[in-house]
Amino acid sequence: MTIHDSTLELAEPSKVKWRQYAVTAGRIALVVLLLIVWKIGADRAGPIYVADPWLVAQRIVADTLSGVLLHHIYETLRVATIGFAIGCFFGVALPFVLRRLPRLTAAIEPYIMASVGVPKYALVPLFILWFGIDDAPKLWLVGLLVFYPVFIAVFAGIRDVDRRLVNMARVVGASESRISREVIWNSLVSFFIASLKIALPRAVSATIIGEFLVGDAGLGFLIEYSRQNFDSTGVFAGIVVATALVLAINAVLVQFDKRVNAWRPTERDMQI
Amino acid sequence: MSAQPLLEVRDLSKRFASREGRDSSLWVIQGLSFSVRDGEFLTIVGPSGSGKTTLLNMIAQIDTASGGQVLFKSESAPINDPKSLNPGLSCRIGYVTQEDNLLPWRTTLQNVLFPLTVQGRLNDETRARAAELIRHVGLAGFENHYPHELSGGMRKRASLIRTLVYDPPVILMDEPFGALDAQTRAVLQEDLLRLWEMGRKTIVFVTHDIGEAIALGDRTLVLSRAPAKVAGEHEIDIPRPRDIRGIMTHPNFGTLYQRIRAQVQ
Repeated sequence: MTIHDSTLELAEPSKVKWRQYAVTAGRIALVVLLLIVWKIGADRAGPIYVADPWLVAQRIVADTLSGVLLHHIYETLRVATIGFAIGCFFGVALPFVLRRLPRLTAAIEPYIMASVGVPKYALVPLFILWFGIDDAPKLWLVGLLVFYPVFIAVFAGIRDVDRRLVNMARVVGASESRISREVIWNSLVSFFIASLKIALPRAVSATIIGEFLVGDAGLGFLIEYSRQNFDSTGVFAGIVVATALVLAINAVLVQFDKRVNAWRPTERDMQI
Repeated sequence: MSAQPLLEVRDLSKRFASREGRDSSLWVIQGLSFSVRDGEFLTIVGPSGSGKTTLLNMIAQIDTASGGQVLFKSESAPINDPKSLNPGLSCRIGYVTQEDNLLPWRTTLQNVLFPLTVQGRLNDETRARAAELIRHVGLAGFENHYPHELSGGMRKRASLIRTLVYDPPVILMDEPFGALDAQTRAVLQEDLLRLWEMGRKTIVFVTHDIGEAIALGDRTLVLSRAPAKVAGEHEIDIPRPRDIRGIMTHPNFGTLYQRIRAQVQ
């Protein structure tokens, strides 16, 4: 219900609105400031080091119209999505399996935690050696980088589930799989979403790094190819598009978060 | 009424494993025996920390005993074997816990329907029953509120009817009205008695309020301090239907209260 909303608005409607405008204006001002700094930097450092923002914008428009950019975005998204799906699946599924096997968990937990420390990017040459130069090494890299944050968050989430709710569900006749889906999952979903805030941008970054090294398509390839041709405008265009891509993904995630956590009291109480 | 008790506890004992830095493990319950007849309203009083909740947990099979026996319809509960537990004994024993344990992501109505949903018994008839219970305990209009948007008393009532809605033959209640104001409490006590007289369920009702134990029960059991055992047993010879609000003026109330009071310490 909207009890909180209405009391907030009733309190000082004009003040609340004014604050929202101020936040929006501040955000726009920051973007403008960033563009100005970029432009000054470009003029000072020269076009080889920092591309002119205006030229970058023109390049993005031209590449979009020609369809080249879409092709690269599609390739990056394709690899990032598949890799993310694989890493995310294991990151969620494994804690649910381990929940039923406390002894196995106790045995392998130190190994899993130790493997967190292995720098995954350092494994890329091995992946190329083992899995060739197609999608496979990129998928391994993305999958691993997504797996760890998701696994650790879901694992912690499962431990945090209120035993009393689980017992209640058992007493009223819920099956174990029903308890997993209803009680455990809903209890840990905010842990999961928090981990996605790390895992999703990582999936895109890892894909781009993979594309620096192998393949002939994707935003990473576009950036690296432009660099090799001393095309700084192309490099900057790639970076801008990649950033926009991550921001777009985050916006989708925020909507997802809002829907899943609609019942939570904090949503409303923390409104500006 | 059959000679065989519906529920029997024999020489029950429970201790919790000791933790590092603490003294040797603590016996919460030792040598506890009693039985419950089919259709009986048994109330249990005892000082806090006397293992009342632990006792109910063992009867509901969400915890195992360390020794002794818990029998339901002559079926024995597993002892010292948490993996073989059958919580709720296949929906035959309902349990209204001390905390409301509502699922915070479900609305009032969805919480009340939760047992029916997981049991696959959601249909027009059971929905109508749920709606009637909701109206009956004054939650009408709050069906779509989440638990955090309800008052403590409303949450309590929602958790009570969540158990009533699937109609288990035995209901365990752990101080269900503990945190309520006197008025709401009396209303719910009256409701509970009416429902019990209609359906003649078996109820095991734990409370620390002696007056409540007398007002509701056919029989009151007094538990001692930990390790808990039965310190006294009292038939409540006050005829039904009872007037909850006027119960204190009944001639037998005073003596019962004094006798039970003397044993609770």
